[in-house]
Amino acid sequence: MIKILRIAAFATVLVLPVTASAAKKQYQLLVDGLACPFCAYGIEKKLTQTKGLENIDIDINAGTVTVTMAKGVSMSKAQASRIVKDSGFTLRAFTKLAK
Amino acid sequence: MRNFFLAAALTVTMAIGINTPLLAHGPLFSPAPETIFKDGTQLTFGFDTEKASGAGVKQRDYKTTIEANYGLTADWEIGIEAPYSWKQQNGAKANGFGDISLDTKYQFWGRNLPSAQYKASALLKVKLPTGKDSTTPRLGSGSTDVTAGLVTGYESRRWYWFASGVYKANGEGAGNLTKGDQQSLNLVGGVRPVLTNYKEPDTVLMLELNWENSRRDDLAGVSLANTGGWELFVSPVIWWTYRQIAVRGGVQIAIANDLNGNQPTTDYRGRTELVYHF
Repeated sequence: MIKILRIAAFATVLVLPVTASAAKKQYQLLVDGLACPFCAYGIEKKLTQTKGLENIDIDINAGTVTVTMAKGVSMSKAQASRIVKDSGFTLRAFTKLAK
Repeated sequence: MRNFFLAAALTVTMAIGINTPLLAHGPLFSPAPETIFKDGTQLTFGFDTEKASGAGVKQRDYKTTIEANYGLTADWEIGIEAPYSWKQQNGAKANGFGDISLDTKYQFWGRNLPSAQYKASALLKVKLPTGKDSTTPRLGSGSTDVTAGLVTGYESRRWYWFASGVYKANGEGAGNLTKGDQQSLNLVGGVRPVLTNYKEPDTVLMLELNWENSRRDDLAGVSLANTGGWELFVSPVIWWTYRQIAVRGGVQIAIANDLNGNQPTTDYRGRTELVYHF
């Protein structure tokens, strides 16, 4: 019985990093120039064209755009910066959120 | 014949305002500095009305327009506008397609700040003589006209301001008539009374001050006395938006003028737009 528990614990330790790496990644984009809901639609449209994007949450008052990617998909700062620029805004900060 | 020239002058005065569509909030009766996002498309459906009277002329015009704009980059857009007009002048009526316009706008300067932005753009518009100029009243000017302008502005969560200057150079139309070149200067202020967030309906109020000047028309080298001069308008505008849909409307009220000779003056102009971008 003890042997079984040891094997199970060892297996859990082995599997954990794999599970963590496949978790959904979330990023927060601090965007300059985000002044109104109507103009923010452009950034939403550009982001929805990004492969693997699952969810977008825009907070106009805070000037932030929070994106959630599908499992195993990442977003780079360069990618975020290009999307924000094509929408007519400026990326001030790019943060990977713990999830 | 005299009424014809008066109507032509009025039509030109009416056409001077460039109201290029925009992605963000901006003036309704004067240009805005915003350009649509890269690869974005914007459709604008507009309805205009104008009433003018005086000097023995009573004129009532209605116009619907459809305009499409496309963002080549986030700073550069192109567009096309097609109008359909119904015109009445002293009992005479005419309706049909008016002059088609092609336009472009380039944002040559911009500064994005937290929850605010400054922008400055140059715009160019060419109006083609596609509308009939043989009707009374005329539906088209019969000339190719070129408009150039500069506009700058500031937009924040609460406040807006814009300033622009526009020059319209008119070509020679039917019957050797060349309408006088036109200039307009515009100052605009705006406020968002309630700060709403994304996916909530949003309302913005604006007040425009529009000064429009026109030189005298020229008929085969002869300057026409009863043409040209300036008018000053105050124009309240309201915006309502929800996500990528906007409805905006406003009215231009003439508060002062100095028109040459004996001409009809603008009583008011109204404009309503439905804007959708995708």
